[in-house]
Amino acid sequence: MSRLRRFLARCRAALRATRWVWWWFRQVSGDAAYENYLQNAATAKTLSRGAHPDECILSREEFFLDAMRRRYSGVTRCC
Amino acid sequence: MKKLLKILLWTGISLAGAGGLAAIAFERGEPLGATWFIVAAGCTYLVAYRFYSAFIAAKVLALDNTRATPAERLDDGRDFVPTNKWVLMGHHFAAIAGPGPLVGPTLAAQFGYLPGTLWIIVGAVLGGCVQDFVILFLSIRRNGKSLGQMAREEVSRRGGMIALLAVLAIMVILLAVVGLVIVNALKASPWGTFTLAMTIPIAMLMGLYMRYWRPGRVLEASALGFALIVLALVAGQWVAESPSWARIFTLSGPALAVAIIIYGFAASALPVWLLLAPRDYLSAFIKVGVVFALAGGILLVRPTIHMPALTRFIDGTGPVFAGTIFPFCFITIACGAVSGFHSLISSGTTPKMITREGHARLVGYGSMLMESFVAVMAMVAACALAPGVYFAINSPAGIVGTSPEAAAATISSWGYPVEAQTMNSLAQQVGEETLLNRTGGAPSLAVGMAQIFSSTIGGARLLGIWYHFAIMFEALFILTVLDAGTRVGRFMVQELLGHVWSPMARSGWYPSILISSGLIVAAWGYFLFQGVLDPLGGINSLWPLFGIANQLLATVALVVATTILIKMKRLQWVWVTLVPTIWLVTVTMTASFQKIFHSNPRIGFLAQARVLREQITSGAAVADRIGITERLIFNNYLDAAVTALLVGMVFVLIAEALFEWYRILSARKMPSLREAPYVATRWAEGD
Repeated sequence: MSRLRRFLARCRAALRATRWVWWWFRQVSGDAAYENYLQNAATAKTLSRGAHPDECILSREEFFLDAMRRRYSGVTRCC
Repeated sequence: MKKLLKILLWTGISLAGAGGLAAIAFERGEPLGATWFIVAAGCTYLVAYRFYSAFIAAKVLALDNTRATPAERLDDGRDFVPTNKWVLMGHHFAAIAGPGPLVGPTLAAQFGYLPGTLWIIVGAVLGGCVQDFVILFLSIRRNGKSLGQMAREEVSRRGGMIALLAVLAIMVILLAVVGLVIVNALKASPWGTFTLAMTIPIAMLMGLYMRYWRPGRVLEASALGFALIVLALVAGQWVAESPSWARIFTLSGPALAVAIIIYGFAASALPVWLLLAPRDYLSAFIKVGVVFALAGGILLVRPTIHMPALTRFIDGTGPVFAGTIFPFCFITIACGAVSGFHSLISSGTTPKMITREGHARLVGYGSMLMESFVAVMAMVAACALAPGVYFAINSPAGIVGTSPEAAAATISSWGYPVEAQTMNSLAQQVGEETLLNRTGGAPSLAVGMAQIFSSTIGGARLLGIWYHFAIMFEALFILTVLDAGTRVGRFMVQELLGHVWSPMARSGWYPSILISSGLIVAAWGYFLFQGVLDPLGGINSLWPLFGIANQLLATVALVVATTILIKMKRLQWVWVTLVPTIWLVTVTMTASFQKIFHSNPRIGFLAQARVLREQITSGAAVADRIGITERLIFNNYLDAAVTALLVGMVFVLIAEALFEWYRILSARKMPSLREAPYVATRWAEGD
């Protein structure tokens, strides 16, 4: 019984680790950028903080284009 | 008990690191295994991170986790975004890791494995990581200001302009030299050229996918792009074997240079979502994947190092590039040990995303350690080749000749035996016409990587696929640097032209885009073309020039850091940045002086110009080559002038910084820091 419990605990830990890696991968790649933006905008609205708490929310496409423009306006890649 | 275990653990790691370094430094006669390199580098990095970076964080910089960072105070959900430290480390590492730590160590392997490996490890721990970490911290304290802005505000008004011009000069030389690496890797290689050419429509397809069909779905588009690239890689073999298709994709050096120049212009002028961004995503994934695969492959295969610890070329007569170990080993390996370019990333987007000051240690110091580890792996891959094969691939035709027999005879006479048959069969195995005179480092690195990968998966049967995969991987992210660099260069030119005529400063105005793109592409395209025509392979003159420029930028960054530490009254710890500064000044100034004035025409630009002039006046130059010789003379003068200009600018900055230090230390001036005022964080510890 205790062996089974240990096995299940290990499975849960492995699942947590896989989830974390997937989350990390999406964050680093920029795949989760729009979700982060929406979350940030919602928090800013709730707390009435941020640079422009009342600004209208960008669509996914607008946000993507805006992010691309900002990302490639400076030195973002090294030699 | 726990403390005792910790002490034992760190003592063990330190001893293992010291043992690894001792094996690398003193092992002679017996072939050395690659595991020693991994142990030496890995353990040194662990100890450096645990103790030296902790010391810098606590004593030198006094990182304060109670202080709100710009990401918290100025959070706008776009540029200023509090980001998890592991995510930010991934972003930062992806940004700083370019082709430099792969190509530099491969070229420096001509001195043997020892000097380059020691410099990569020691230089990173005491120089490169310190620079990245300190500049990141200083930028965090100044709301994410750039290196140029910090130089202007903390050192002198001229400092900002010097940083801007130095960056522009580096950008031009960098883009030319990486372009040359691609040209040398792809000339007369239909397989490689086809695969790389296919990445353009694949990237555009990904761009359309992310723009119109599934906006912002980066992972889906990247998976699609990767699958298509693997198809292109396999199809490349078919193209190379088909006489009619192979003819179309077999290009000479000048033709490839023109193609790359046209591509650079298009990438700068086209909308960023169409070509630049998707290629960047694709290359970032492949880059990180290959780096981990290479590390795994080296650990699994544990290749034997065939290159001796020191070669006869430490005397400066090397065929890959001319010049003695000091200073040229330290100039050639720039990005794997100290890279000035990193200071632009550390004072760019990263400081605007950091959640706590304490995270700067992991992101700044830790990411550079990883970059250095990539450089060690490149050194292992290059040194695992038989030295004769390494020199046959990396030596220019002007030194070893163009036929396999002539090259084999010359290289064997140096004491590194190689047979013409060996080179022919190796070329055949990797699916190339020839592997001779492929200067630039990329092909020899690809052969080394292919041998490691094929020992893990596929054996000799897949050597050709792995070789072209490695070439595609190198070329793909070199092109990303070319795209992104040309675009940034375009913005700088627009900013400079805006001082002359204000509409030119409008970054979205199409005439301005076309003119400034044309100017920046013409600048690096000129140097690229000169490299392609150079009978000594181009790398001999362009790579040291790039290394000097890059290290001079690191000097600028460290001078700014030292000035601010003096202003912060951290005098007892100022050696942390001052020692690498003095080292870099010594190395860069010696290298610059030698590159301009050395009497050996393979080293000194002016001596080379004199020799070429004598060829014309004595009638030794063939009549139809007089035009080319005249151009080579002009190019040598131009290279000398560019080097002198860079050195002159950095001298001015150093002189102004020294004057500033003198005034502060002699109490003639009250130090004033331009830090953002202290604001306590609203977040609890651990957020």
